[in-house]
Amino acid sequence: MDTGKQRTFAVETVRLTKTYGGKTAVNQLQMQVQEGAIYGFIGKNGAGKSTALKMIGGLVHPTKGEVRVFGKPVSQGVIRRRMGVLIEAAGLYQNMTARQNVMMKARCMGLSDERSVDQVLALTGLSDTGKKKVRNFSMGMKQRLGAALALVGNPDLLILDEPINGLDPEGIRQMRQLMLQLRDQGKTILISSHILGELSKISTHYGIIKDGELIEQISQEELNEKCQDYFQVEVENVQRALPAIQEAYTDVQIEVFDSRTIRVYGLKETAGLNGVLAKKQIPVYACGVHSMDLEEYFFDRMEGGSRHV
Amino acid sequence: MFNLLRMDLYRLRRSRSVYVCFGLLLAASVVVFVMLWLLAAPQGQENALRIGLLTKDELETSRSILDGVDVLELFRQTALDGGMYNVTMGICIMLFVCEDYQGGFIKNIMAFHEKRYLYVGSKVVTVGILNAVFLAGHFAFTLLLNLMFKDMVPWTDIQDVMFYLAWAWLLTTAFGALEIFVCICTRSVAAGSLAAVLLGGGVVVMMLYGLLNTFHAGGWLNYTIYLSFSTGPSRYTSVQDLRTFAVGAGFLILYTAAAGISLKKQDI
Repeated sequence: MDTGKQRTFAVETVRLTKTYGGKTAVNQLQMQVQEGAIYGFIGKNGAGKSTALKMIGGLVHPTKGEVRVFGKPVSQGVIRRRMGVLIEAAGLYQNMTARQNVMMKARCMGLSDERSVDQVLALTGLSDTGKKKVRNFSMGMKQRLGAALALVGNPDLLILDEPINGLDPEGIRQMRQLMLQLRDQGKTILISSHILGELSKISTHYGIIKDGELIEQISQEELNEKCQDYFQVEVENVQRALPAIQEAYTDVQIEVFDSRTIRVYGLKETAGLNGVLAKKQIPVYACGVHSMDLEEYFFDRMEGGSRHV
Repeated sequence: MFNLLRMDLYRLRRSRSVYVCFGLLLAASVVVFVMLWLLAAPQGQENALRIGLLTKDELETSRSILDGVDVLELFRQTALDGGMYNVTMGICIMLFVCEDYQGGFIKNIMAFHEKRYLYVGSKVVTVGILNAVFLAGHFAFTLLLNLMFKDMVPWTDIQDVMFYLAWAWLLTTAFGALEIFVCICTRSVAAGSLAAVLLGGGVVVMMLYGLLNTFHAGGWLNYTIYLSFSTGPSRYTSVQDLRTFAVGAGFLILYTAAAGISLKKQDI
């Protein structure tokens, strides 16, 4: 949507770079997160996700480049007030209770109304932990408390690094519902996770980072378009099968996945393809319709992009 | 910084290590008073003779231990001059600061406060408040013990007490700033503990003193925090006596600034 006015992003990084002793952890990152989006930030371990999120959260100084949050530099105090951050393990005082930890964050922010403390505890399902010390919490409870700390002060932007790590299925479901609830309230969420299936249930946009570089930003709609269904056929001889399919179907996209597997995109009627191969006496070991999900798409991009013929 | 101070004081009140450290200081005072009572008080010496702690020949020498010692001098020698107070306080500060890093709560703080020197400022003020409470409480406890031991040593003028406690507070707070600086630089409990023992206990200064004395330059170390405790005046007699205030203020500013600069340059 181009209204002619300059668009303000919730998060915008301009050539953001971080170098540690000659090794570049994040390289020229150009990320744009729209307001109100849930932006799934994906990458392998060591790809630079946490470093990038730390720079956006103001915890790490960039070597080069700039971070703008709601159009202003992240170094401004007024911007920090609009951000809630949960990066890596939740930062907690182990000898304090959940409420005392949230009280600490509230005092750090200068909030005097204790109702906001109770609100975030209720929102994250930690209201009834009583006098139990954090050191006795389960991993999932600690993660939820970390999220509660990020929510103190009702921030407009949440930066969450692996928030569902260590959560049980029920905890993951609760966290997902919380994210969706927060999105409905108009908050922008920048979230990284290794659990791509879970990420795909909530994200409206994705950014894929590889070796410190953002290789793609894509919306859920664009992803759906790219992740179209395909007909996969496993044959004895790809060299013979491929020209046969190309000859019979001119309006489809064909991908040779490996030495035995061919994927055909945009095929309207699948039965005929088996007939074509049978007529050419090409043995077929298996065939069926598949859907590409975020995980497959991610691995595809990690391997250097699609291999469409 | 006021918000951070409120946060630090909230945690300080709930920190068990603070009470343990204060308890250790008080316990040490009790031990010292009991020992002195056995060695120097007539009734105590009777008990010491009975349990074989003293012989009859040692009675007179033992009684002279407290000659010229008033309650302030006893407090100084018990707690501050030997470095026990600084070692204990150093460990207490180390636990307080390093917990921010170990638990990771520092991320919550730094994500919100872009002016990192405020964090250092808050910690130094917190240490200042803690020192004021510890010194006042410890001295009051010493008075109480002296009362319980039937005025074993004579009382000290209130002006002298106030003068001494004022510079002692400044020096101990400067040492607290040094401990904060070490903890922020290293983020390590081990390094913080080592600094508390080696710097607070005077090991480093005394080694340097020995080394510099071979070049007749050991006098410079009289301006260190550690030696200022033992060489500082117990009462105000001249402007020279204000030197310890200058030493305390100088080191307090130096270490606070160093900690602030160090934190500003760090990635969290």
